[in-house]
Amino acid sequence: MTLRLYLAAATLALAAFASAQTVTDDLGREVTLAAPPTAVVSLLPSHTETVCALGACELLIGIDRHSDVQGTEGLPTLGDPYAPDVEAIVALEPDLVLVDEYSGLHETLADLGLTVYAGSPQTVEETYEYIGTIGTLLGRGAEAAQLVARLKSEVAEVTSVLEAVERPTVFVEIDPTPFTAGPGSYVHELLVAAGGENVVPASMGQFPQVDPEFVVAADPQVILLLDAPFGVTAADVHARPGWDGIAAVRNDTVIELSEDATDALSRAGPRLAEAVRILAELLHPDLF
Amino acid sequence: MLPLSLLALCAVLLVAGAVGSAALTPEHLLGALVKSVRGEDLSTLEAIAWRIRLPRVLLAGLTGAGLSLAGVLFQGIFRNPLADPYLIGTASGAGFGAVLVFALGASFPPLAAIGAPLVAFVFALLTVLLVTGLAADLGGLPTARLILAGVVVGSVFTAATSFLLVAAREQSAGLLSRLLGGFGFASWGDVAALAAFTLPALLLAGAFARALDLFQLGERGAALLGLPVETVKVVLLGVATLVTAASVSVAGIIGFVGLMVPHSVRLVTGPAHARLLPVAVVWGAGFMVLADLLARTVIAPVEVPVGIVTALTGGPFFLWLLRRSRRGPAAGTP
Repeated sequence: MTLRLYLAAATLALAAFASAQTVTDDLGREVTLAAPPTAVVSLLPSHTETVCALGACELLIGIDRHSDVQGTEGLPTLGDPYAPDVEAIVALEPDLVLVDEYSGLHETLADLGLTVYAGSPQTVEETYEYIGTIGTLLGRGAEAAQLVARLKSEVAEVTSVLEAVERPTVFVEIDPTPFTAGPGSYVHELLVAAGGENVVPASMGQFPQVDPEFVVAADPQVILLLDAPFGVTAADVHARPGWDGIAAVRNDTVIELSEDATDALSRAGPRLAEAVRILAELLHPDLF
Repeated sequence: MLPLSLLALCAVLLVAGAVGSAALTPEHLLGALVKSVRGEDLSTLEAIAWRIRLPRVLLAGLTGAGLSLAGVLFQGIFRNPLADPYLIGTASGAGFGAVLVFALGASFPPLAAIGAPLVAFVFALLTVLLVTGLAADLGGLPTARLILAGVVVGSVFTAATSFLLVAAREQSAGLLSRLLGGFGFASWGDVAALAAFTLPALLLAGAFARALDLFQLGERGAALLGLPVETVKVVLLGVATLVTAASVSVAGIIGFVGLMVPHSVRLVTGPAHARLLPVAVVWGAGFMVLADLLARTVIAPVEVPVGIVTALTGGPFFLWLLRRSRRGPAAGTP
């Protein structure tokens, strides 16, 4: 009798140990869960999208105000990804909170006894890794592997068509100051995959504020307005002093991106392949 | 001092015109001029020289001149070494106006059509009117009340601006950089608009140089010597406010220049306004052009906000001047 009890206890302990997961987040912290979580709070749209893409939408009990995935409509919104309502988060008693690594929230929430994963992929490779990591944390490893494989094949579909095609020079405008995205940023990698060439060199960094003269001298063939959802129009760009000689302005290829497109381009996660396709269609309309 | 300063300003303008992320020569500028007159297309470098570089350098010069002028006027009227052009709420009002356009522009198209610079200008003037209205007392404008009212009203508008920035975060793209100030998209229209305010202001202020000297005796002393104190105050505050509001609406809020340039020049020329005013204006223009040059070349073609450059470069220079002036009467201060 006692032996069976011991065996049962040992088996249970082994099972618990086996389903315990430890991953390392983007800040180098060890995130350990004794069992797959049942109550997850996501404080970043890309986290929300990833959780739902892994078929774990029902695990979510709270999201940030910008998350807008289908299936999360009724969930309590907990505020801004960088300044959420901490009391509300704690009151929900989540067993896992997903935050942005630059939010600084990991300390606050961890101090309050919550398990926090802090991360936000910056490149395409990191995005694939990140989906795998979240899959591991949620106990959906198989789904994660499948999702990554699907995304890779969808991206390969696009890049294979573009192999020998000429790449237009592109200026990506994130903000009308102007701020742009350079090599090392997610948007840049999507651009390259979609058959475009960024006019910004690596030496300028990931998100530099540029001298308008630089853009005029670089003479891009396409200008992508990622700040169009904030009210910047192609007409505004045409009106800038000295910009009317730029190829993109002369050929009327200053493209205002929709809010949905901008979201896909800035949320590194399961919308990666969709984002590459959006860009490929804009840059090579004759091929897609 | 003045001829030397003017010469230095010319040199600065030439250097700023040539140096930048695109290396330009006088040929580009002349070529652009000729082609513009003939209505021909400009080459890329000519377009940069004529439509981007030159307006930018001139706008920086005008802004620097205007802010320094306003600084001299404010320091003269208030007799307070901490007085700067933003003392009675101009910057806070302009900032609020600009944020209003960005935050509500999408919901109120007419607001967006008027544009941030004009709304900012109007709000700057309204703010100063509010401040003077609050401070007015028995037919006069006591300077102590002006400062108090300016600080309070300024704080309220700054808080309102911050609130709008947080509440309308999605619409705030580009807003922070506008508030930090910069000459990035300077156009000839901007230059003309600012010149229309700054040049008459310079001439008018010049006519009041003696009045400003009398002000240093205190308002009672000046009145006893026959100066119509309240009238002079209103005129000069009005001129300073208009120039400041125009600068802020076109170039954003650039600090330090209006406060430090007058002080720096005073250490060299002495406090007599007949010399102080023109030299401060020239130094202000040159300083701003240099600051903008640095802002766009130090890590070119990446830009640094010009307000950061003015503070980082102006501060040490002013401290050096301050130290120099300590070494006895020979240093030139009476």
